[in-house]
Amino acid sequence: MDTTVARPSGSPDPGSVPGGPATPPTPYATASSARGLTKVYGHGAAAVRALDGVDVDFAAGAFTAIMGPSGSGKSTLMHLLAGLDQASSGVVRLGATEITALDDNALTRLRRDRVGFVFQSFNLLPMFTAEQNILLPLDLAGAKVDRAWFDTLVQTLGLGQRLTHRPAELSGGQQQRVAIARALIAKPEVVFADEPTGNLDSRSGAEVLSFLRRSVRELGRTIIMVTHDPTAAAYADRVVLLADGRIAGDIVDPTPESVLAGLEALRTLEAPVGSSGPGAGA
Amino acid sequence: MLRLTLAQMRRSLGRLTAAGIAIAIGTAFMAATLLAGNVFTRTGYDAVTATYGDADVVVQTETLADAAEKLDVVRDLPDVEAADMLLPLGAEIRHGSQRRYQVTLPVPSSPRLSALELATGALPTRDGQIALPDTTAEALEVGVGDHVQVTWRDPYDPEADGEPAEHTDDVAVVGIVDDPSHAWAQYGGAAVVTQDDALRWNGLSLSSQDSVGSVLLVAGAPGVGTQTLLDDVSTALPGATVQTRDEAAADTVREISGESNALLMVVLGFAAIALLVAALVIANTFQVLVAQRTRTLALLRCVGAVRGQLRGSVLTEAAILGFAASVVGLVTGTALAQATLSVLGRADLGVPLPPTVEVTWPVVVVPLVVGTLVTVVASLVPARAATRVSPVAALRPADAPTVSARAGRLRLVVALLLTLGGGAGLVLAVVAALSTDLDPIATLGLGLLAGAASFVGVLVGAVFWVPRVVALVGRGLSATGAGARLAAANTGRNPRRTAATSTALLIGVTLVAMMSAGAATARSSLGQELDNHYAVDLTIESMSDDGALPAGVEQTVAGVDGVAAVAAVRTTGVRIGEDLWFSAFAVDGDRAADVLRDPRTADGLDDSTVLLSADLARALRDGGDGGPQVTLVSQDDDTVRVDLRTQDTALGGRQAVVTSATLAQLAPGAPESALWVRLADDADPAQVLQSVQDALPDEPLVTSSSAAERVTYERVIDTLLGVVVGLLAVAVVIALIGVANTLSLSVIERRRESATLRAIGLTRGQLRRTLAIEGMLIAGVGAVLGVVLGVLYGWAGAATVFAQVGDLHLTMPWRDVLIVVGVALAAGLLASVLPARSAVRTSPVAALAVD
Repeated sequence: MDTTVARPSGSPDPGSVPGGPATPPTPYATASSARGLTKVYGHGAAAVRALDGVDVDFAAGAFTAIMGPSGSGKSTLMHLLAGLDQASSGVVRLGATEITALDDNALTRLRRDRVGFVFQSFNLLPMFTAEQNILLPLDLAGAKVDRAWFDTLVQTLGLGQRLTHRPAELSGGQQQRVAIARALIAKPEVVFADEPTGNLDSRSGAEVLSFLRRSVRELGRTIIMVTHDPTAAAYADRVVLLADGRIAGDIVDPTPESVLAGLEALRTLEAPVGSSGPGAGA
Repeated sequence: MLRLTLAQMRRSLGRLTAAGIAIAIGTAFMAATLLAGNVFTRTGYDAVTATYGDADVVVQTETLADAAEKLDVVRDLPDVEAADMLLPLGAEIRHGSQRRYQVTLPVPSSPRLSALELATGALPTRDGQIALPDTTAEALEVGVGDHVQVTWRDPYDPEADGEPAEHTDDVAVVGIVDDPSHAWAQYGGAAVVTQDDALRWNGLSLSSQDSVGSVLLVAGAPGVGTQTLLDDVSTALPGATVQTRDEAAADTVREISGESNALLMVVLGFAAIALLVAALVIANTFQVLVAQRTRTLALLRCVGAVRGQLRGSVLTEAAILGFAASVVGLVTGTALAQATLSVLGRADLGVPLPPTVEVTWPVVVVPLVVGTLVTVVASLVPARAATRVSPVAALRPADAPTVSARAGRLRLVVALLLTLGGGAGLVLAVVAALSTDLDPIATLGLGLLAGAASFVGVLVGAVFWVPRVVALVGRGLSATGAGARLAAANTGRNPRRTAATSTALLIGVTLVAMMSAGAATARSSLGQELDNHYAVDLTIESMSDDGALPAGVEQTVAGVDGVAAVAAVRTTGVRIGEDLWFSAFAVDGDRAADVLRDPRTADGLDDSTVLLSADLARALRDGGDGGPQVTLVSQDDDTVRVDLRTQDTALGGRQAVVTSATLAQLAPGAPESALWVRLADDADPAQVLQSVQDALPDEPLVTSSSAAERVTYERVIDTLLGVVVGLLAVAVVIALIGVANTLSLSVIERRRESATLRAIGLTRGQLRRTLAIEGMLIAGVGAVLGVVLGVLYGWAGAATVFAQVGDLHLTMPWRDVLIVVGVALAAGLLASVLPARSAVRTSPVAALAVD
């Protein structure tokens, strides 16, 4: 792994967090981390090691992308980081909480109060309006709505005219923006996004990605995004590369080119031919 | 295509099973009813056959004279050993204060011609003797050697003045008879008397041209075959109907079975309601199955299946399900009927029950055909939906399957017409019944027809209004939390399915509530009528010749538990004016206030006052003699006149109350002929009545009370209500299966949504609660609407029926209503348990899966 540029660690590039967020998270803190994280599906001969001893840290107030080829374990890593699935062994922390030790109810509350999700298929509830969908996490928690924050989100995401519409009356891009607002409304410590642009055309995709980046830069949120699209990954502050269930690289301040190069390096690694590692991004 | 259909059925086995149970219950109901019908027929046939004893040949006759004439001819035939008239008549037999109406048979000339066997004593040999069945002997508390009284009247003579004279015969009990074949069990057994006594007690004679139902029973001499005897008798009686015993029984059963067939039809009607509800459940299930298979169906269209094949596949699936479920239902129904029969057989009801049910062709074929047909018809609409799936749907990412929620304009128009037209007809029928003297049958018929039409309208229109009501209630609930808000929103997503599920429950609940409200109204209306009629809780009257009470009765009754006060009463017939006759009562010691149900009735009673019942007061006013001063004229002659002030009171019937002093003036020798009894407030009237009757000595005394009459008819009403509600409960159970089915389908459909909600923070408990609320919302709305509708229908029905009978007291059967709604809510909750279990098992990771 001498081709990797940096050890995956909790040292974000300070430059990627521009000053001026409304509620800045503790700078340089680790929002989410994994130690020796392993996930095995199946038993015996059919057992598949989707994750194999992963150690990784994600900085608070940063936009991190997890990339890797199909079957690299990137989705599994996200599920475990977000407390959606049980690890086979290893430890996952959200902030200071060791979530691998929590039971289902505690995990559910943690997801409700401290984590947000953006899905590839938007997953809005069809019978609720955009506004009801956005407020759903607060609703479930029985929490009060912070109107100022709600207005900020709606304004930032350009949803002002769409609040009374149901998902079926919204375009894909609009639906995903509603989903982002829903993910952010409870001011979670981390937002996990799973291929958020997978079901969108490139223009809407770009729009959504800029919103995600703005929510980090301007609103001080932390986002961890799984994607297989180098262009999407380039919106992030940092890219973590995954291959065969292991961390295979780390790119700070990525560009589409540097991400592509990093992926290329992974592929050539598999075909055991040496090659130049991905260069550090611009 | 069939292989594919079967494969799809295997995949949806769970859902199909739930739907199949609904059909199976309906067909089991139907099969059991048909089997019960067979048992009725069999029992009737056996009983009729048994009444013929061991007769070989039966001859039908027209009149008594005809029968007597034919009997003489038959008895003279050489091949005939014995011949008798089978002449069941009746007599009122009394012993002490007990009386009983008893079927009597003439003494048979040969034991072969009677189903009865002598247990003890002897058969009557002359007039004035009787052999009683053991049940009657027990009820009258008599044995061999005792005497009973038979009261009878002379034949009615239109020429003569007044009523025919009444006679009382003193009859000796000479024997006790058994009825081993239960031939007369349905009449409460039969007694044996001489033919002359039997005829005289019924005002008949052998020359009578009355068409009394009588047949001749003929027993052949030893060695004479039935056919030979049949030919002999036929030759001797040209033109007469001569049959073998079995032929005659079959004929008779056919004649009398009209009644039990009608009963069968009514019960089958309930089975039809159950199947209708089952059809709603089936239609729902198939709609969702088709929606879930959209992708598969589209794929089939892509690879070349034509629309007809898809429709055929769905209909085949329905036919297979319907047939399989019907077979299960048939077997279950037969097993249930057999089990019931075995239990009843062991309980010895005194009715000759066959040991096993008789499985005839109709019992097998009808439930199978109807069950299968109902299932196929219910799946027609979903089958059409299957043909609408476009091949392109296979290429699109799967969206949540949706079922068209739009309902046609035609449906709305039809529903509105039926509901409004039927409702107007119902109102018309009620108004007509309340205000006019129209034929009650006509108003009842109009009410029934209009009620049925409006109910069909309500059901057809359910898809328009039920979802709105659910939404409204849901909105009300939404304030209670996110779970309720989610549940309410979910019920609104597929209005048609919610409507169908709620409606299935609504049907059963409406009918149950209707019966319950109708029965409650009948109970209180009749009760009010009786209370108006009886001013006293309990009356005991002497039936002795001099009309005087036996000594000591007053003390005996006063000692009975639950009796608060007793007063002896003298009475005499008096009149006001020329022809307004009525009874005047005087309570001994003028303690009327103590024993009248409402003591205030006696306010103002003094020697110059007569208290009048509302009836009498009205009759007086109608006769232009309303008082305030009237003259009472005594029975004996016109000389005793008393001028009195009238006072209208709440006394019932045609009664008037005066003081003892006044009565002494009118009828100085009047004995104490009755007791008025007031019951303790907390006493059970029926119980006290029984205790009083038990305590009374063996004297001719008649006890009467509103409580006694009330108990009699309340028992009838309650039994009927119990039976009907029991039958309707089947429909309600099926509907509740439908609720569970709908919920589990929703859970499957919303797998991804549930996962999303779990991912963003819905706890397992909240998810369970959401489904529980959804189930209770659907069931509760169906139940409450059903109760409202049912009570309205019940009241309308009661108003139509009781308008002419008396005062109408619309009564809300709160207890029954609360039970029904409670059961529905609990069942809705219960119905959500299994679906919720599968829902919470969904991992939140499923939300991220892209299919």
